[in-house]
Amino acid sequence: MTDQWVTFSRFGDAELVSLTGEIDLANAPEIGRAIVKRINQAGKVLIDLTTVSFLDSAGVRLLDALVGDLYEHGTPTRLVVGERGAARMTLQLCSFREDVLATDLDRAAADLQV
Amino acid sequence: MTQELRLPWDEDPDDLYEHAPCGYLTTLPDGTIVRVNQTFLTWTGYTRGELVGHRRFRDLLSSGGQIYHETHYAPLLRMQDEVHELAFDVVCADGRQLPTLVNSMLGRDESGQPRAIRTMIFNATERRQYEKELLHARNIAEASERRVRVLQQIVADLAAAPTEAEVAESVVRAPEAAFGAASSSIYLVDTERDLIVAVTSTDPTTGNWDDMPRSSARAVARVAERGDLHVVASLTEAKQHFPDLVESMRRSGRNTVVLLPLTTGPTDEHGGVVTLGVLAFSFKGEHKLTDGELRVVRLLGQQAGQALDRARLYDDARRREERSKFLAETTGALDEVHRLQPRIHRLLDRLVPEVADWAEVRLQVGAVPIEEPKGTPAPDTELLMKRVAKVAASGEPIFALEGDPLDCSVLPLTARGLVLGTLALRMAPDRRDAAGERVFLSDLADRAGLALENARLYEQERQIARTLQRSLLAGDLPSGDNRFAVETFYQAAGQDLEVGGDWYDAFLITVDKLAVVVGDVVGRGIDAATTMGQLRSAVRALASNEDGPARLIEGLDRFCERVESARMATVAYAEIDLTTGEIAYCCAGHLPPLLQEPAGSPEFLMHARSAPIGSRAGNLSRTEHRRRLSAGSRMLLYTDGLIERRSRSIDKGFEILAREYARRRDAPLQGLAAGLADTLVGKDHADDVCMLCLSLGTEERIERTIGADRMQIALLRADLRTWLVAHGVGAECRDAVLLACSEAVANAIEHGYRDDPFGMIDVVATVTDDAVEVRVTDRGTWRGPLGDVSRGRGLQLIRESMDQVLFDRSDGTTVTMRRRRGEDDQ
Repeated sequence: MTDQWVTFSRFGDAELVSLTGEIDLANAPEIGRAIVKRINQAGKVLIDLTTVSFLDSAGVRLLDALVGDLYEHGTPTRLVVGERGAARMTLQLCSFREDVLATDLDRAAADLQV
Repeated sequence: MTQELRLPWDEDPDDLYEHAPCGYLTTLPDGTIVRVNQTFLTWTGYTRGELVGHRRFRDLLSSGGQIYHETHYAPLLRMQDEVHELAFDVVCADGRQLPTLVNSMLGRDESGQPRAIRTMIFNATERRQYEKELLHARNIAEASERRVRVLQQIVADLAAAPTEAEVAESVVRAPEAAFGAASSSIYLVDTERDLIVAVTSTDPTTGNWDDMPRSSARAVARVAERGDLHVVASLTEAKQHFPDLVESMRRSGRNTVVLLPLTTGPTDEHGGVVTLGVLAFSFKGEHKLTDGELRVVRLLGQQAGQALDRARLYDDARRREERSKFLAETTGALDEVHRLQPRIHRLLDRLVPEVADWAEVRLQVGAVPIEEPKGTPAPDTELLMKRVAKVAASGEPIFALEGDPLDCSVLPLTARGLVLGTLALRMAPDRRDAAGERVFLSDLADRAGLALENARLYEQERQIARTLQRSLLAGDLPSGDNRFAVETFYQAAGQDLEVGGDWYDAFLITVDKLAVVVGDVVGRGIDAATTMGQLRSAVRALASNEDGPARLIEGLDRFCERVESARMATVAYAEIDLTTGEIAYCCAGHLPPLLQEPAGSPEFLMHARSAPIGSRAGNLSRTEHRRRLSAGSRMLLYTDGLIERRSRSIDKGFEILAREYARRRDAPLQGLAAGLADTLVGKDHADDVCMLCLSLGTEERIERTIGADRMQIALLRADLRTWLVAHGVGAECRDAVLLACSEAVANAIEHGYRDDPFGMIDVVATVTDDAVEVRVTDRGTWRGPLGDVSRGRGLQLIRESMDQVLFDRSDGTTVTMRRRRGEDDQ
């Protein structure tokens, strides 16, 4: 059901969660469940938002909860957000923690190696 | 000397008297013996002296005889002067009783007074014996007759007993009626399971009713194997030969047990006898069965055996009949559904729980392997997988035998010599085991294999048709032009019908001329999908800047001469001049397009109508109609699936469509067609639904009304985005407006309408040279400042992304937001 918005793969030794399209109040809870189900055993997590064309506060809430949980479990995590675009805008407007954001996948993966 | 010369028959009267072949007594009228002959003395052992003058005749009789003498002999003699053949037992000197027959005559004097009694006594020892035997024989005959009657009754009952159970019920009653047995029980041999099973008893408190293997040492099993009657005449005998009987004999106070095998086959003793069951009956006290009884017992065993045999054959025949009925019905049930998954479900529904308590179909063909189980509990997966793999590789079934740890039979599903998959099942507890049903199960698997293969082929063809249709419909529709937007919708028929021939298309003939078309090819399936593709290509090829709709439809009429399957297809075709807003349309047998202008009611475009493509009898003079549409107009082309319902007239369908269309005049274009389909046809419908909605021109001001449904936010955003793009609003400002508007609507849904799922939200946006303004209004209830952090974040986002935000909570909530246009604006 959530395949159109979220897909899973590996990037190096990290679990890669790729989000795409519009993430809003209508689909965020469902997407959240799909992600949690998949990454609860992951050692490292990359969440790619570069092709997200819209992100609302429900989407921010989802990412906030995900990142919070992952850090609590000591799972290194990065969000990949383009330098511009809807997702970057929303996250910035919400003052999302900058330290988990990266502008491309390779950089994000490199961050996690440290 | 002459005296010496007597003839042999010239006897001496004294000697004759003394040694006559019978006894003689002469008595006085009171019975006192006055004379007696030697014969009598010899028989009885008395001396003459002991009798004569000392004893009366009656003194010599048994006590019963003395009474008889009193009541019959004496009175009769006095009345008739003689009596004949009266039976008396004379008590001899040694106390022995001598059976006799007595004749007496009473002699009278001249005055008629009794003078003396002459009595003749015959020795009746032999005769009594004979009579006794006669009586005994009669008793035996009567008992035997009773047994024969019982047996006859049982034979009659047996003839009428169609099942093993009824045969057993008839037979189990026989020993009590025929032999006076205390109780009896029936055991039947189950050759398939190699067991002997107790089925019925007249006294279930006796005996041991556990199933036993045929090889068991128990008496019943031993007798069943020997096939001959066995009488356990006493506890001692039981201890010696069948210790298992001792306990129950003792407990129920039985001393004799008869074990009778119920046999069928030739009655001569040379083999061929089959034991089908055992009748056990027992007696209180030691009971000796006579030869006659034993003969009848054996006869009973044969009769019951034959009846059992007949019942088994009958059972078999009935079971065979049930099976073939089941198979026929299953084939019929599978034929009713065409698709693969429903067929698999049908098959499993037939099997569980009637035949099996668990069954599973696995198919290994196609891209995705299918695995459909039904019933509980599921068997051991590892064992099952091993067996499935074996069967799939060999194509040979494996049946579960007694004691099989998996207890599942696996049969190959084959068609055209290929193994498509497997059918695994565990027989229901009340069914015979799989080994006993192997012919039936194999037959079932053969039919299922063929039915599933056909469904798979059907599925494949259907998939090809659907893929073909999808690929044709999915062709790129023109977009990105601010002057128009196209929304399409296709919904395949429910009820597993094959694909239909409905299609839509939109393409630019020139940069300023757009063509839209919706059509419907006759028929279903892969042929219809192919024809649809050809017609669609033909329309694209025939469309030109100069000719117009009427010429194009004429071209399609000619096309039918070559592509016969396109004949009688219906088409609604329109060309739109994007610079002037003029449209030209033509309907060949198709339903009229529905037009909604920014002001006024929706209107069906009823001009330029003619017969379907290639019609032989209809009006083929193709005309076209032109009119100018104002910016913001929406035109809907659709196929008959949208409005035709069996339950209502087509006029009613038009009426409802117009009303629903009008109601959605302010709804976002995206999702409009889906909403109409939802309202007009629902999900389960018998025909394909195809729609194309064209929105013309750019509105200066966008007004939308949506329901309090979070799914609609995305639709609204799509309209708003298109509208913002059309007005050249730059990306940064656009994203900010979309975010703020979404949050405001989300706020209305989550907060204002949290208790009202039917609330409506109005969104109005206007654009000027330097700013975009959006107003979002709900009529929900304001409940004070928000405690909810996440909603708080939404409000924060609105404030952060817009330059000015104004909340008005006088009647519901109206949020008015304004943002200056950025530098990247065009």
